[in-house]
Amino acid sequence: MKLAVKIGSMTMRTPVTTGSGTFGFGSETKDLVDLSLLGAVCVKATTREPRRGNPPARMCETASGVLNAIGLQNGGIENYLREKLPFLRQFDVPIIVNVPGESPEDFAYVARRLTEGGGADAIELNISCPNVSHGLDYATQPHLTAEVVAAVRAVTDLPIIAKLSPNVTDIRPVAKAAEDAGADAISLINTVIGTAIDARKRTFKLANKTGGLSGPAIKPIALLAVYRVAQTVEIPIIGMGGIMNATDAVEFLLAGATAVAAGTVNFVNPLAAIEIAGGIADYLEKNGFDDVHQIIGAVQ
Amino acid sequence: MIRKRAATIVSVQALAAPGHFVLTFDDPETARDARPGHFIAVGATTPANPGSSILRKPFSIFTVNREAGLCSLLFSVYGPTTRTMAQYEAGDKLDFLGPLGGRVFDADPHATQTHHVMVGGGYGVPPLNFLAKTLKATNPSARVTLIYGARSANLLVGDEGLREAGVEIIACTDDGSLGVKGRVTDGLLPLLGSPVIGGGGGDVHVYTCGPTPMMRAVAELCIAHNKPCQVSMETPMPCGIGICVGCVLQKADGSFSRTCTDGPVYPATEVTWQ
Repeated sequence: MKLAVKIGSMTMRTPVTTGSGTFGFGSETKDLVDLSLLGAVCVKATTREPRRGNPPARMCETASGVLNAIGLQNGGIENYLREKLPFLRQFDVPIIVNVPGESPEDFAYVARRLTEGGGADAIELNISCPNVSHGLDYATQPHLTAEVVAAVRAVTDLPIIAKLSPNVTDIRPVAKAAEDAGADAISLINTVIGTAIDARKRTFKLANKTGGLSGPAIKPIALLAVYRVAQTVEIPIIGMGGIMNATDAVEFLLAGATAVAAGTVNFVNPLAAIEIAGGIADYLEKNGFDDVHQIIGAVQ
Repeated sequence: MIRKRAATIVSVQALAAPGHFVLTFDDPETARDARPGHFIAVGATTPANPGSSILRKPFSIFTVNREAGLCSLLFSVYGPTTRTMAQYEAGDKLDFLGPLGGRVFDADPHATQTHHVMVGGGYGVPPLNFLAKTLKATNPSARVTLIYGARSANLLVGDEGLREAGVEIIACTDDGSLGVKGRVTDGLLPLLGSPVIGGGGGDVHVYTCGPTPMMRAVAELCIAHNKPCQVSMETPMPCGIGICVGCVLQKADGSFSRTCTDGPVYPATEVTWQ
């Protein structure tokens, strides 16, 4: 069974990666997960400077979903290269580093350090985080998206994945702008902005008031975004948003995604990305396919 | 060593306190590895209860029987996960990750001058029961007291096996139906001596777990009396294994700490209570 896919120059042995922010930096689950069985490991957002994140409460469960406002807590790029990377490099698995920034220069700086330090096999530009200012706004405007992608393209030959937001009127022009500016792939969707209110306390449930919704609640939104973008760009798509099992993943592949990410499900089952890859292989075999590419974009 | 388990449930026993249950499961490795303060993250969405809750929910280990390879949880029904757990029958599987927790209770059973005082409320008593029994099992002459509270005597839970183990018990009830009439802090105060540095009360060491306002009151009382106090935080934990970073508390130094893997037990002096 051929499960391998390519995202730019990066080869994934299975089409399933972890979603950024849902798998830490890989070492947290070392008792449970052999990282080399993943298609890729996408680590938590890594910024130019350390960030302490948003005050609690940061997360709450909603109907079929999880609302979060973590605020990109991380130790910064130098801490990543020094403290997190050596663990990850023990495993034969491609590493995707999710990079947010507050300016095109920020993105380019972290991309350059990742390239110099051998810190990534692909860079996912987080131009769509709903929980910080100067995050979401890039992916709401095609020209801002292009500006960030071009700034990073100028400093690295690593595959660039532009992570797009569903919080827009039409995602297609944003995806096209990323492709035209030199992105090697598109990942979508980031979380859907929302809020939750505690009627008993008459307060917001999150200290940040707003958060990003993930989980099964957003899967239909994500599937449509993947389908629409697949009709618009030539570069591969990594689909994500509410994937809880192999059937969900197959639906994203059918919609046009070349690879998928397991996100919120990692909180419940850190082995999910591995199990989903196995389930995709089972689906292909049962349906008479021998290569995952035979179902990519095959929805009718 | 964190494991993903589908352990066989041995029994689900309803307690006299309305809505409270003890679930016992068979898992020799967890029974061997669990320490007081450890918890497990239970996933209990069943086909009969679909989509009701995506995330696992954390439960402190209540009792451990290493010889028999059994562990138990004490819980009250308050949501879909606990509703499902209450309906489990012997032979059903308990899906969990565990044992979890990076820092658990730190207590020296051989410190002969120390009076170990557990202060618990409601669902916070289970890990203190585990700690109290562990201290007495390691050193039968250790002085251990449980102070626990509830609105009324019929709601007091979690003291199973402690009298037999030689633990002194002080019950506190809001309505005075049993023991001290008042809060757990009313039961604790006489043990602390005067609120001055180096004051009386001997070498009291307090361990607390329960609702946040209760723990805060206990922690502040201990700090005022210069007594060491460890608190086991009950912050909602979306993943329990350190990857979501959703369960943080703000420490006194201003940093955010993951209560699941950096805690759940902290010295009271490290915790802020916003």
